Formats: sequence, structure tokens, C-alpha cells
Amino acid sequence: MEKNRRWKALTWSAACLMTAVTTALAGCESRPRLDKDLIISEETNEKVVNMFSPMEKTDPDASNVARTASDLTVLMAEEKLGVTVAYRTYTAEDYQDKTYDDVTLDRVRNNMDDLYLMNPDTIQILGSEGRLLDLSELESAKNLREVVKTANTVDGKLVAIPQEVVANGLFVNKDLFDQYNLNLPETPEDFLECCRVFQENGFETPVGANRWWLENFVFAQAYADLYNGGNTQKEIDALNRGESKYSDYMRPGFEFLQEMIDKGYIDAKAAYVSEAIDGEGPDFLAQKTPIVMAYWGAANAETAYGKTDFDLQVIGFPSSRGQMPVVSMTGFGIGAEAEHLEDAKSTLDIMLSDEALLIYTETNKVISPSENVEVDCIPALKPLNEKIKENVYVLGSNAGMKVEQWGNTCLIVRKLLNGATVEECLAEFDRLQEESLEK
Amino acid sequence: MEKRENRGIKDKSLSLLLSIILVFSILGVVVFSVARQISAEMSASAVSNLSESLDLIKCTIEAIMKKEAEYQKLMAQELVVIQDPEEFIRRYENNQSMAKISLILEGEEEGISNTGDRFSEAELDFSSGATVDGLPISKSYLNYMGTWAYTMKCPVVKDGREIGVLYIEYIYDSFDKSLPNGFYNGKAMLYIMDANSERLVLKPKGMGERSAGHVNLKDFYRANNILEEELLKEVSKSLKQGKNILFYHDIRGKSSLNYMWSVNGGMIYLIGFVPIEAIQQEGRTVNQNIFIVVFVMLVAFFLCCLLYYLNHRQQNLLRKEQEEEREIYNKQLAEALQAAQMANNSKTMFLSNMSHDIRTPMNAVLGFTILLARDAENPDKVREYTKKIMASGQHLLSLINDILDVSKIESGKVVLNIEEFTLNDLVSSVDAIIRPMSKVKDQHFQVEVTGVKHENLMGDVTRINQILINLLSNAVKYTPEKGNIWFRIIGLKQRSNQYEHLRIEVEDDGYGMTPQFLTTVFDAFTRAENSTTNKVQGTGLGMAITKNIVELMGGTIDVSSEVNKGTIFKVDLEFRIPEGQADKKFWENSGISRILAVDSDPEFCENIQTLMGDMGVWVDKAFSVKEAMDHIQTRQKDGDGYHVVLMDWDMPEIDGIRTAEKIRAIMPETAPIFLFTSHDIEGMDEVHSEENIGILAKPFFVSALKERIMELQEKNGEKGRTEAETDNSLEGLRFLAAEDNEINAEILEEILEMEGAAFEVVENGKMALERFKEAAPGEFDAILMDVQMPVMNGYEATKAIRAMEREDAGKIPIIAMTANAFAEDEKEALEAGMNVHVAKPIDIELLKKVIRQCVRN
Repeated sequence: MEKNRRWKALTWSAACLMTAVTTALAGCESRPRLDKDLIISEETNEKVVNMFSPMEKTDPDASNVARTASDLTVLMAEEKLGVTVAYRTYTAEDYQDKTYDDVTLDRVRNNMDDLYLMNPDTIQILGSEGRLLDLSELESAKNLREVVKTANTVDGKLVAIPQEVVANGLFVNKDLFDQYNLNLPETPEDFLECCRVFQENGFETPVGANRWWLENFVFAQAYADLYNGGNTQKEIDALNRGESKYSDYMRPGFEFLQEMIDKGYIDAKAAYVSEAIDGEGPDFLAQKTPIVMAYWGAANAETAYGKTDFDLQVIGFPSSRGQMPVVSMTGFGIGAEAEHLEDAKSTLDIMLSDEALLIYTETNKVISPSENVEVDCIPALKPLNEKIKENVYVLGSNAGMKVEQWGNTCLIVRKLLNGATVEECLAEFDRLQEESLEK
Repeated sequence: MEKRENRGIKDKSLSLLLSIILVFSILGVVVFSVARQISAEMSASAVSNLSESLDLIKCTIEAIMKKEAEYQKLMAQELVVIQDPEEFIRRYENNQSMAKISLILEGEEEGISNTGDRFSEAELDFSSGATVDGLPISKSYLNYMGTWAYTMKCPVVKDGREIGVLYIEYIYDSFDKSLPNGFYNGKAMLYIMDANSERLVLKPKGMGERSAGHVNLKDFYRANNILEEELLKEVSKSLKQGKNILFYHDIRGKSSLNYMWSVNGGMIYLIGFVPIEAIQQEGRTVNQNIFIVVFVMLVAFFLCCLLYYLNHRQQNLLRKEQEEEREIYNKQLAEALQAAQMANNSKTMFLSNMSHDIRTPMNAVLGFTILLARDAENPDKVREYTKKIMASGQHLLSLINDILDVSKIESGKVVLNIEEFTLNDLVSSVDAIIRPMSKVKDQHFQVEVTGVKHENLMGDVTRINQILINLLSNAVKYTPEKGNIWFRIIGLKQRSNQYEHLRIEVEDDGYGMTPQFLTTVFDAFTRAENSTTNKVQGTGLGMAITKNIVELMGGTIDVSSEVNKGTIFKVDLEFRIPEGQADKKFWENSGISRILAVDSDPEFCENIQTLMGDMGVWVDKAFSVKEAMDHIQTRQKDGDGYHVVLMDWDMPEIDGIRTAEKIRAIMPETAPIFLFTSHDIEGMDEVHSEENIGILAKPFFVSALKERIMELQEKNGEKGRTEAETDNSLEGLRFLAAEDNEINAEILEEILEMEGAAFEVVENGKMALERFKEAAPGEFDAILMDVQMPVMNGYEATKAIRAMEREDAGKIPIIAMTANAFAEDEKEALEAGMNVHVAKPIDIELLKKVIRQCVRN
């Protein structure tokens, strides 16, 4: 009797299951109804924000953490606002090509895009031309560290905001330093000594350089006292008024570079045509070059120096005040006459919000521009981080200085690399200072 | 044979399994082939679709460029007619596609642009020789807007003479809006490459992944890990020839179809890749659906198989069960047949026995009747013959009673008549019947009651009597002379406060029973010995009746026996305890609060103490005469002497009567002394002559003691009245008798005449009723009423009489005299208003006693 009842229940269950499956399959039928075969294609009113940003040449076997971090914030904005951020990029094929900065200037001036990721010199130029929107009204701007605001304010307008505070430093192969019983250099003299020892030990060119980042040596020596001596603003004011000369500040750095070139510690010709990391990176990774220079994020990025076979340490550049990080900021700006101005503002506001910056900072292990966001850095970056925490650094760009620093110094260093004398280079600074005073 | 069958089954199963595997294999191969075919077809179709899409894009771009060229030509023609072409150019505003318009007049190195800058052809490279609609087109370059552009030049011809060249710069970004938004759901990648410089000049919006090679063809190869030299050579060769190329290559771990599609004769190329999964999406979807359908079908198939298997198993189980049930039925049928045969045999034997048993007394009745007729003049003979006729008649009656009882019990018509009774009365009545019987055979009959907490109980006392008499009379029957019979009533632990749980044991050391007979002892129509060969008379129904009654009362009966050693029957019954059990008031009123129990058996004393304790009477125990004397003296001195002394007749030291005398010497005469005895003893008469000394039968019952005390109290108060009360004579009484049967009427007349009573007999109830109506009050002392009568039966007549409005209608005793002898008949008679029920045949002594009681009341 009991078995019969179970058997009946089983049969009913099976029948119900089959009915359910049949019904479900019937329900899944996707053929349109005959009375509904008129399909009207509606135009999608897609919100688009065009973003112009650089992109390094692609390495298929490595992921770019910095780019991934930035992409995550872009995705967050896309999800929250329902916009599509269209990437537009430019990368110079070689040194003869227009630089990214040149192209950025052209594109901003011609309103080609909405959002731009710019280097400090570009920010300064475009800001002073009034082509960038004042971002101080953005909600995210309220959380910025003071130094970030200072470095990006032109004529009283906050024209750009970075996603990270870029600290540039020397990337050294600690294993090689240990091998030759060398201490990590504090002063320019220490540094030259290290180079001598390396050169004597078969490292023909101990310092790997490219056409972009040698200026860090100059800034470290030029402004170590200015930014750490307690009279920063006074000294800057004096420079802006022409009471003191940029060339005087720059001299030790240029002389130092000249000595490096003269002694063969830097291959000037190679550096003059090398792109960042592309030129010097492979030799550094192969331990053929013990010292290179790069930005903070390069220590995390697999596309740069995130995966080394040796003990990597990132230290400040040598100066009379010891190791000195050089801080610069690439920032996002919005064209003052951008086609999608409001969407661009909203997108940037999300990308720079504390929530987004936390993701960015955690992914990229960098210093956040927001005073509310702080994360631990990787061990290699600890020496550099310690200095920054102690407020020991120089700014590579300062919008408060009337002579643009980052771009001009870079170009003048290139002239040095191209065979100009130190005096010629310093004369160029005097010219620039005079031009600024005339304005 | 069985092995061969098993092998056959195994072979069949194996072939079935192989067939299923074969069918599934074929199905699998077919499905796989279909899926592959679909996949291949869809893939080919997808490649074709991709080619078509690329062709479409190509045509779009070519059309745009052609329109640009046509427009430029028109503009050049326009310039011919314009007076100041340079001014025209300067004022010309840019639009979305034309980024810069320049004019160099014939014979000049530099010209002007609408941007206001000077313009020189040296900035451009037209060396590739590529043209659009006949107009030379430059190598792509990064223009002043920071975007990739190309320039077409068009000669401005006036009257067959070239007067200048019009240069218009177009930007690749302008293609973006004319190209489809997205490509293979955004999974594909599309670039526009300048073939000459191999620079990637445009990545249309929504055309694939964000992070990919984007600088030039070399970077594209590197980014996508396309490093095979052979392949690169082939591709390079095709590019130079302006051919369209498609090749498979993994891109970032995904198998992809790469393409390089020539536009405008190979001037620019559409390059990129589509992951195969994106191309074959439809094919995969179709295959997935096929597999889902196949899977569902397989599941359904296996479900069906499972259902079939379960059904089959269920059927087998059912069949097996049915077979088992059939076997059981067959067995039961066989057993039933056997039982029926046995029953038939039993009945045959019973009938044979009955025939014998009935014929024997009947023979005696008839025989002695003949002798009676012959020796009618001889009073001694007549007395002897009538005595024997009486005995035979009574035996016949008991036979008939038993047979009727069995038939009634078996038909389930027995109704228990529950009423209050005392164990004392029960034991006394049983003792009164059995003891004489055992005395005849010189057997030792002992009655023991222990552990009983309540004497007054509710139950059908008649039926209990029947059980006890059946068991005990059997014990007497089947125990030889001088044997022992024990009758025990044991109080068991109560299961509920409302019920007394008793065990009745009847034990003997008689003949016993064989184990075979024990199994059928409670079956009807069986007897330990065949009555034709044994002197023990009986119907063989007694034990069956007993068992049925016990079970009817919710009890159990159990027997154990051994041949020549004896038998013990154990009956467990529960009786409800009536409310108001403890009759404490009597003892208080009688002034009895202290009793001394004297017996050498401590258990007996204990029993008295328990039972009397419930009545609020204190009981001291003494196990010897000396101890008893001490107790009495001590109490006497203390001034709280005993009110009653209960003592055993058979005390070890001295006999009961002497002890009683000794006690009496130190106790007041008002305190009764009772002597317990379990049998008739010499000297009892002496006891009766003593003041306030009485005899009590063992076992001890409170009710018996109470009765005896009441008797003593009455005796003391109403001496002299006793003699008159014991006289049961009917002399001087006048009866109205209703009896339809002439013989019965005659017998009744004879009996009443013999007793000196006056009477009037009527034939039915109606006549009795009418006669009573006519009679003067007090004319009749009682009505003797038969029940089954014509015209009006006894019940109806009684009811009518009781309903009459006469003073004596409700009072006159009506005595039922009927052959309806069952308990329910008696109940019905009482309910009809009759005073008492006397069963036929008439026991004259019983009738006299009943009449006297009724009339006296």
C-alpha cells in the first residue's frame, strides 16, 4: 500500500517535471509574434566623453598596473553615469615624431577631445592660455592635498587634478651596490664615486637615461634648499620678480650632468633619442646598468620595473641635502570648450572621488592626491616614501613659478645632451626668465 | 537447468546493454557530425560575413574619399572663376572633414592656407603615387590639430592651363562617424593603417579593446604576439601588393581571425582581428542548443528507463507479494479446512457425547418414572425414585444451561450486569457450594485472600461466580479423593486508583492435563477424557465459557498443568472500586477504634491491619496467646482497652475457645471476640453459646466482620425474634399466579397446596391484570408471573399493574417465574417492575425463601 503511494507520487513528480520542462521550453520560444514583426530601430542616445591619454607601446606578456588602476576609475564613472569614455591615444614612434605633449597642446587648442591627461608643463602652458576649465568647483577637488592644489593652480584656477602624486626617484640595483661595497649615494659626490666604481668594474655606462627624466638630477640639486630651507615662497617670489636667477639655481645640476656626460657615466647620444623606459629599461633589468631613473609607479608596473630579478631600491636624487625625491604631477584637465563639457566634468569628478582614488591607489600602490586616501607602499619604495613622509622633496613643476619648469628644463637638458654647453643652457633659462618678466 | 537459465538472462542483458551502447554511439556520432558540420558552415558563413562587413567599411571609406575628391575638383573649378582665389581660400572656414585648405599659385613655392599660415608642398609627401579619383593623395601625417590627416592636391586649370594647385587636408577622425558603432559586439578590433608609413591612424570608436597595439604595424604585431617570420613576410608581401588578407592567429590567448583589408587600392588598410568565439557565436549557440536538446532527450530517456525499471520492479514486488499472500491464503484455507474438519469432528463427538449425556439422565428419569408408577404405593420407594429423578433432572438442566450459555457467548449476546458486590459474599457463596462438594471427596479445600485493598467492588457477580464455580468444580472433579484444592484471591499492584487488580488462582494436585490437551483446554466441545469412557460428567463447555467470560470482562486466563501433579488456573481481572468505599462511619458509631489481631501467621495479621486501617481502626498484632494477653492487660491498665479481639482458632498453644475464655476473663463482656477458622470445627456449638463470642470464616473480610458485629448487636437487642424470621412457610398466604402452560400450572398448584398456601391461576397476563383489578386490596399477598404468555406477556402485565391507581398496585410483590433464565432477562424483569426473578424449573426452597422475603418486606 505504501509502495503504491510512493510509486504514484514518483509518477506524478515525473509528469509534473516533464510538463514544467515543456512549458519552460515553450516559454523560451523567441520567434516574434506575427502581429509584431515590425521592428523599429531606435537611435541610441549614447553619452560619450572623449579622453586623450598616452599609451606606452604594448608588451603582450605584461599587464600595466597603472593603466589598469586608471581603467578601474574610468569603469566606475561609466557605470555610475552611464557614459562611454572613448579612449584616444598618441604615442610617438620615435624621437623625431611629435611628442605626446606637442600633440596634447594641438588637440587641446583645437578642441579635439573632452578630457586630457597632461604633463605638468602642458598643464602650465594650456592653463596660462586659458584653454583648461577651472576644476575647483568639482566635489572631488575639496579633498586634495594643498601641495597638489599649489602645483596645479594657474592664474588662480585649478586647471588639472592628478590621480597620483608622482614621485620620481633613482631606481638602483641594490645587489650590485652591495657587490661593490657601495653605499647608496646621498650627495652628488657620492653618486659620482659610485659611477666611477661601477665603470671601473665593467659597467661602461652606469646610468641608464632617456630624453625625458635627466632633469630630475637638475631639480634635486637646484631646489633642494629652496623647498626645504624654510623660505620657499620668498625665494619663488624673488625668482618671479627677477631678483634672483633660475640659472643660478640650475647651474650645479647642469654642471653635474655635464660631468656625468664627460666621464661617460651617461650616454648622451643614446639618451637624446631614447624614449622613457624603452631605451634604458632592458639593460637595467638585465643588470647591465645599475642605476636608472623613473617615476614611483614604475616600481609597481610589470611593463616597467615591477618584476626584477634583483633587490630593487628606489631612492631620491643626490643633493646637498641628501637623497631628494622629485615630485611632479600628470593631471587630468578638461578643455574649456569641450564638446561634452558637463559629462566630462561628471566623469572626472567620479574618477577623482575618494572612492575611485582608493581603488587607484590600492591597485597602483602610489601616493594619493586626496588627503583622505592612504595605502602602504611596496618595500622597494620605502626609502622614497620615508622622505616624502618627512616632507623632504622638491617639486618638479610649480605653476606658481612664472617660468614653466618641467617642460623647459627637459628641453634644455636635451640641448645639453645634444652638445650644448652648460653656459648655453643656463643662458636659455635667463632668456625664459626675461620672457616671463616681459609678460 | 537454473544455471542455464541464469546464463540465458545474462546473455540477454549483455546484448541489451550492447544494443543500447551501439544506439547511443550512433546517436553521438550523428550529433557530433551535425554539430561539426553546423560549426564549419557557420564558420564559413562568419568569415564571409566578416569579409562583407570589411568590404562595407572599405566601400564607405572609399566613397567618403571619392566625395572629398569630387568636392575638391568642384572647388578647384570654382577657384578658376573667382577673381581673388587666395582671398577666397583665406576666408574659407574649416568643416568636420576638411581641416585645412591651401592654394599655391603657379610659379610660386609657397601658398596660403585658410588657417592663415603660409603653406608649402614640401611639408607633404606625395611620393607614394596613390590617388583618389585621379587626385594625388599624400602620406598620412600628424597635423596641427594633433590628429592624423592626409592631403589631396588638385590642379586649378583655367583654359587648359594650370594656374595653381588646391591642397585640402582631411582628417581620419571624420571617418569615425560614418563607420558602424561597434564590431562583433565590441569584441573585434579595427584600426585604419596608412599603408605607406604603416602608422595606425585611426581606431574607430567602439572598435574593440582599450589596451592594444596602437602605434604602428610593428606595435600591432608586438602587442598581439604575431612574431612568426614566415607569416610576417607573407603579410608584408600582400600589403605591398594591396591584397586583402585573413589569417588565423591567437591574440592574447584567444584564437582569432586577423584581417588586413585594402582600401583605395592599398593606400590605407583596415587591420585588426575578431576572436573566433565572436565569429562563431551563432554556430556555438546552435551547437549548444543541439547539445541541450540531446541532453534533455537523454535525461528524458534515462528518466523513462528509470520509471520503466521502477515500474517493473514495483510490478515484480506486487506479484511477489500477491504470490506470498496467495500462499498465506492457501495455508489459511487449508488450516481453516482442517479446523472445520476438526470442529466438525468435535461437534460430531460432542453430539455423540451429548446424546449419551442427555440420554443417560433422561433414561434415569423415564426409568424411574416407570418404577414410580409401579411402586406408587410404597412411600419409601417413591421418595427414593423422586430423589433420583430430581438428580437426573438437575443434571439435565445444567447440561442445557451450559449449551445455551456457549451459544449465547459465541453469538456475542452476553451482556454483563455490573453491580456492587463484596468479596466476602463472593467467597462465601463459592465456599458454600464448593466446600460440600470437596467434602464428599474428602478433599482439603483452602481459601486464601491476600493483599486485597478493597472488598467492595463493581462487577457482574453472577458471571464471576460462574467463573469460580467452573474452575473450582473442575478442580474438585479432576482431583482424586483426599487431594488438595487451593482457592486464592491475591491483590496485585493497582494500575489505576479506580480499579482493584485481582488475581484468582485455583490450584489442585489432581490428575493434571497433557501438554496436547492444554492447547485446546479453552476450546468448546473438548473434554480431558471422553465421557463415554470416563465417569466424569460434563459438557466440555465449561472452560470455553469461562475463558469467554474472563475476556468479556477484559481479563486474562492462564493455565499450567502437569499430568498427575496438578493444575493451576490464573485469572487476572480488574474491578472498578465503587465510590464511598470506606465505611468508616459504622466503626465510629459502633465505638470500635482498637482491635487486637491474634494469629501465628504474621501475613494474616498484616492483612487485617491494612484493611482495618482504611476504616480508621487501629489494629495491634499478637503472634501468640501470651503476647495477646500482655497487650490486652497493658491496654486495660491504660484505660484504652480493645473494642474487638480477632484471633485464630488454631493457636499453637491452646485451642481457640479456651483462649477466648481466658481473654474474656480480663476483658469486658461487651467487647466481642471472634475466632477465625477455615473449616467446620468441633466445639463450635460451644462458641455459639458464649456471650459476645463469634466465629468468622477465614479469610478475613471487613464486611464479614461488620456483618458479624451487626448480628451480635441485633442479637443482643432483639432476642426472641429470630425463630419466627427463619420460618419460610407459605401457609396462610394467597397468591395470584399467571401461567399459560398447563403442566407448569399444575406443578405450581401442587407445590403451593403442599405449602398450605391459597392461590388462583389465570392463563395469561391480561387475565391476571383483570383479576387483580377486581380483587380487593390485600386479597393477594403476591403475584407469581410467567413471562412468555399469549395475549399479554408477563412484562406488559406487570407494567400495567404497576401503572394502576390502586394503593397496593405499586406495593404488591410480583415474582417472575420464567424459563428466560439469562441475566438480561432478569434485568428486563426488574425493569418492568417485578420484584424478583426466579428461573424455571422451580426450586421450591428458593421460591419459598424469595416469596417470604418479598411478602415480609
